Amino acid sequence: MNYLYGYFGIGAVLFTVVYSLNRLKKRNDPESLVDLLEAANPDRHKLSHRLVNQVLVPVAAIIYVIIAWPVLVFFKIKDLVERRRYAKAGVAPEFAVKHQHLLERLSVSEIEQREIVLDPLEAVPAVPFGHLHAAWLRFITGVGEGDELWSFSVQWQTPWGRKELREGYVSIQNGTIGASFFTVWKGLPDET
Amino acid sequence: MTAQIAERLRYLGEEHALCTNPLNDYFSMGGNDPAFESTCSALWRGYVGTWEIIADRLYLIGLQGTLKDGTEASLATLFPGFPTRVFAHWYSGSLRIPQGGQIEYVHMGYGSRYERDLFLEVERGVVVTTRVRNNGQAASKEAPQGYGVGAMLVFPRTGQHDRGKP
Repeated sequence: MNYLYGYFGIGAVLFTVVYSLNRLKKRNDPESLVDLLEAANPDRHKLSHRLVNQVLVPVAAIIYVIIAWPVLVFFKIKDLVERRRYAKAGVAPEFAVKHQHLLERLSVSEIEQREIVLDPLEAVPAVPFGHLHAAWLRFITGVGEGDELWSFSVQWQTPWGRKELREGYVSIQNGTIGASFFTVWKGLPDET
Repeated sequence: MTAQIAERLRYLGEEHALCTNPLNDYFSMGGNDPAFESTCSALWRGYVGTWEIIADRLYLIGLQGTLKDGTEASLATLFPGFPTRVFAHWYSGSLRIPQGGQIEYVHMGYGSRYERDLFLEVERGVVVTTRVRNNGQAASKEAPQGYGVGAMLVFPRTGQHDRGKP
């Protein structure tokens, strides 16, 4: 029983520290930023919104931290490690096609045959990839003899949190995935 | 970031404000990007496109903007050989058309909220579904109807004629 009290005690201390740091950070936020965040939320005057944000969420947060504090500690450490890794590399996570995203190996002529764009109003050149034909030509110029071309489909999240579906073709040289050419680049709703 | 001037869309015989920039994707996918000049804080992208949907297909039918060298841009600047109509086959995603009274004005991007949003879901330039999202009711009947920008800062032009001057 003492261990259980100790466990919950650590959770309570952790919550107090996190809450105090959060209050301190909020006080340092510029007023313009606070106003901006307020303006972005149209429901802020509703009683239901105030109940949820000022009563339910804090109570749920306290209970969650006291019960599941090791989970928070784990994610905090993971976050710190990743930040350090990105800081070392000097870049944020970038889009990359990986082997698990590859769909089908195709030749240039097979791709060009399937990607001819037609329009009844003739508002697009009847060539592979239509208005993006020049971009396609630039892409295949960089594909060496013996390189493979594969179609791909990737769902990923940008560093800004936007979920996207990207599809297209990539070149592969000696098993290493190289440049990509996109045919679909769309935002996905959050629930997918 | 100031609220942004919307694109224009002709749909079912009416002109609408379109709070989506399908040309962004064209540029991201390697399409010809001639570097537009931002002329005011409400138009960071530097151009306004006019779009049309005919038989469920999305077309770009006009473009107004200024390039960094000071020349006026048109549809032919981006799509040589297609000065009047361009099929937007590169675009997949939602087109957002705000409708009804303004619920809240947000002076940032396309952030303002309206009573309804009509979404046209597009796959490779073809409208596949439409849906309406109800966002609630405007506080008063006098609420502005339709998308608008409250204020902006106009930048002085720095076209080719000004370059080289102190």
